Amino acid sequence: MRLQSIVDGWNQFFFAPQSPLPISLFRILYGICVIATLGLLHGDWLSWFGTHSWVSLATMRQVEPGARLNIFAIIPQNDGYIQALFWIFLAAAILLTIGLFTRVSAAAVFLCLNTIQQRDLYITHSGDTFLRVAGFFLIFAPAGAALSIDRLIRLRKGKEGADLQPKSRWATRMIQLELSLLYLTAFWWKSLGDTWVNGTALYYIIHLDEIRRFPIPQWITQSLFIKLGTWIALALEFALGTLIWIKEFRYPLLLLGLLFHLSLEYSLNVPMFQWDILSAYVLFLRPEDIVRAWSGIMKLVPSRVAVSRSL
Amino acid sequence: MREYLSRFSNSVKLKQLAISAFLLFHIGAIIFWSIPINSPLITAVRNVVRPYLLWSGLFQSWDMFAPGPKSSNTYIEAVVVYKDGHTRNWKFPRMEQLSFNERYRKERYRKFVENLKEENVVLWPEAARHIAWLNKDPANPPEFIILVRHWSDMAAHLDGPYHPEPWHVQILYEYKVKPADLT
Repeated sequence: MRLQSIVDGWNQFFFAPQSPLPISLFRILYGICVIATLGLLHGDWLSWFGTHSWVSLATMRQVEPGARLNIFAIIPQNDGYIQALFWIFLAAAILLTIGLFTRVSAAAVFLCLNTIQQRDLYITHSGDTFLRVAGFFLIFAPAGAALSIDRLIRLRKGKEGADLQPKSRWATRMIQLELSLLYLTAFWWKSLGDTWVNGTALYYIIHLDEIRRFPIPQWITQSLFIKLGTWIALALEFALGTLIWIKEFRYPLLLLGLLFHLSLEYSLNVPMFQWDILSAYVLFLRPEDIVRAWSGIMKLVPSRVAVSRSL
Repeated sequence: MREYLSRFSNSVKLKQLAISAFLLFHIGAIIFWSIPINSPLITAVRNVVRPYLLWSGLFQSWDMFAPGPKSSNTYIEAVVVYKDGHTRNWKFPRMEQLSFNERYRKERYRKFVENLKEENVVLWPEAARHIAWLNKDPANPPEFIILVRHWSDMAAHLDGPYHPEPWHVQILYEYKVKPADLT
């Protein structure tokens, strides 16, 4: 292998132009996940982040010292300001979802998301973490290049043609790599535990009262299925972290991953976690398949209901 | 024209080079931060990148249910002792006792209670103060908050039906409420 071939491979992987459809679709799903997370938290905004919150800002600074991108550090500690911050956050998330002032909205959403997570790290789950790290790279992505109000404005002003222009994909690649790393390190961590290796981990998870959601069929609790389920989860996490990069395995793995996360969404009460992760699956779809799927959906929608029949 | 194209090509190359340096740094920092290995080299790299990852919000750990899931059911309650001596039991929302809709919205409480463990003793007075504030009564203010942990270990009996183990109780923390906590 020559050094030049590594450089060429790197450039091809990160810099070969790609249709902005997958990242734009991700932007919409990501925005919906952020809005839903804020909505679910709404009743407790001040309980967790207000002046009489469960964990004070002073304690959080003591536990997590050092400089942080955290708006709480600069706004007055007043419930009015704190609530205003959340409404601004929600507005930015809506703008991001519809694709208006996309890059600024993406930066604002990331900053607000980082702020509330840094403010109380004791109530965040891995889905929140994924939104945070993916949000950072989304700022740099051409996420408003399609399916956005920004594009409609550019079309109207004659600055763009009807055909989507390919864009740089390095930021999209970073979000894909984050998803892949998430699965691979999740597998790695689990493989260090006895219960995952001996096949009993699922037994403990399904008998954790606090995390149970909807009832699961009795046969799943049998020894054989407990062990099979534990090992399948491990194998799937490994495959989604590695084999997803191989074209021939990608779609079957995405389908298995989808089923895996939907089964977790049914059985475990970890709000938004599965949707946060699944939102990034669209980044692995071929743009032409997204167009084909959209056309298929539009054929099912009556013509007077459909707003736009083509992407 | 040729000169213009050459300059354009050089500026594109320079931009790609700068982005590549940015990518290499971030890929390296994130991988070293999140892999479950604690060798001296990896620890040294983590120390170098720590300020940036913490500041930027790119710190991450993907250890869901790992290295092993919790092997006990737990919940925490608080006993509020008022000035006149009477007591009241205060409960964190327990997911299994909430409706499907409520437990989806209140799950952050489960996560918070899960973190009220020995590694996070700094949270105990914080939780106690908040509970005192929630239960404030100017005529009869709370004087003590006692955090009580209940737990039932799970024994893995894969063959046969699941039988919950007996529940245990432990006083986790006792807090003397200060007047400032109630303002």
